[in-house]
Amino acid sequence: MNNKRKWIFRGCTLLFVLLLAGLMFLVGRGHTVYIDNKTLEYNGESYSALERSEVWINGERLSKLSKRDRTMTTTIGNSFEMKLINTEKKGDDPTEVVVKLSLPYSWDGILVNIPGYLAGLPQEAWLSEFIIEPTPMEEDAEEPAGEDDIPTAEF
Amino acid sequence: MSGKQNSAGKTVFSFLRNNTVPLMFILICAVCIPISGFSPSYLLNEIITRLGRNAFLILSLLIPIMAGMGLNFGMTLGAMAGEIALIFVSDWQIWGIPGVVLAMIVSIPFSVLLGWVCGKILNMAKGREMITSYIISFFINGIYQLIVLYLMGSVIPIAHGSIKLPRGYGIRNTVSLLNMRQCIDNLLAIRIEGVKIPVLTLLIIALMCILIVWFRRTKLGQDMRAVGQDIHVARDAGINVERTRIISIIISTVLAGFGMILYLQNIGNLSTYSAHSQVGMFCIAALLVGGASVDRASIGNVFLGAILFHTMFIVAPKAGAVITGDPMIGEYFRVFVSYGVITLALIMYEMKKRRQKASIGAQLALAQKDDDRHEPGIGAQPSPARKEVERHE
Repeated sequence: MNNKRKWIFRGCTLLFVLLLAGLMFLVGRGHTVYIDNKTLEYNGESYSALERSEVWINGERLSKLSKRDRTMTTTIGNSFEMKLINTEKKGDDPTEVVVKLSLPYSWDGILVNIPGYLAGLPQEAWLSEFIIEPTPMEEDAEEPAGEDDIPTAEF
Repeated sequence: MSGKQNSAGKTVFSFLRNNTVPLMFILICAVCIPISGFSPSYLLNEIITRLGRNAFLILSLLIPIMAGMGLNFGMTLGAMAGEIALIFVSDWQIWGIPGVVLAMIVSIPFSVLLGWVCGKILNMAKGREMITSYIISFFINGIYQLIVLYLMGSVIPIAHGSIKLPRGYGIRNTVSLLNMRQCIDNLLAIRIEGVKIPVLTLLIIALMCILIVWFRRTKLGQDMRAVGQDIHVARDAGINVERTRIISIIISTVLAGFGMILYLQNIGNLSTYSAHSQVGMFCIAALLVGGASVDRASIGNVFLGAILFHTMFIVAPKAGAVITGDPMIGEYFRVFVSYGVITLALIMYEMKKRRQKASIGAQLALAQKDDDRHEPGIGAQPSPARKEVERHE
């Protein structure tokens, strides 16, 4: 009985650790979100860039985008929320829009086109994967360090 | 009166002899701090940051000492397990605190496996645990290099080009942990007079200390202490000595893995091929500086050691630069001191052991002389010298 209880306890601990790992996988997925204020061509129609768009995240202004500008931010988890204060044309009153997005798990970099989103286009028009090719590095610089390299400064 | 003075003198001498290393470091720090010219707030900030960064790693050394296995140079194995877990987590793009937690979970199976291998080997080399664990760490380092340099990206899937070497397999020299940098240190952090206190990190360390205190009182903890005091008596008492020793090394390796992850989240990048290489050496040096020895270490030694060792680390280069005009002298000085202190502690431990042995031998000779002189009959009281020898035995 005692032995059985021990194994049940061990099984429960293992299950808890696995569930915790699974949860961390879901909630900890990091994404880089790129926000574009560029004219979008979709199905032969053109959706022009806004005169100005202010991007606010968590109560802080991230950036002020003029036409053809892009900004970026990082986020953890698959839900993303930002507030846009848009001025469509010169002299217009700014309008406020709250954007809530569900980010695809497998995409590291995500590109959001503001004019496309505001025009109410389908998601595939304004949301796309953004892939950055890593900058090639010199082979010499990538030789692993020797045993004698003592990381004293870091320690 | 003279007897009292003599006794006080003996106490002072015994205190000095037992605390030579910490006293020496207090002296070095006391000389170097004013020369370095650092402000108290800067110094305090640095010490608290380094305490949070390293204390967990140093704490991982306590359990093998409790089990009589000496200073676990094999903690490097746990550090490697932690690094492998961080490489995976970086590749999976899990950021922030979830990334740290996931890395800790992923490191557990690697640490357990490596700890088990290390414990098995150490059981075959009883009495020579420290040198054996030191050499094991070199051996496993070779395997680690093979895995990281050749298998990752070719056999073990690594998706991100930013982690892989340009040739398509192997991991780059430096893996950025920018997305989890100081995520634990900054959460709940407070600033007092310009000194940043990483409350969450310190809470984790405090929790670890409580766990170690609790563990000492458990059945397994008591078994480890019994094994640490005398293997033969422990075995006669029905304790599975080999299993207990292996468990102590596994626990130490797992904790070292966690400690390395906490350490690297503070640094913010991972030097793939060298981050672990000196970790064991520096942690052991810090513990010894705190007044620990090969067979005795406490939580107090961990904190005193971390504070003194890192104060010396911070002030030595600047003091060296002021005194000699060359900051490199200070850099060499701190490396030289860390190796020197380990040597000194080992010599002192060996001297203490020999002194104890010699003292028991002298008392035994005295007891034999007494026995020969008195030739006690059956039921007679043993002589005081005999009593002293029996007490030691």
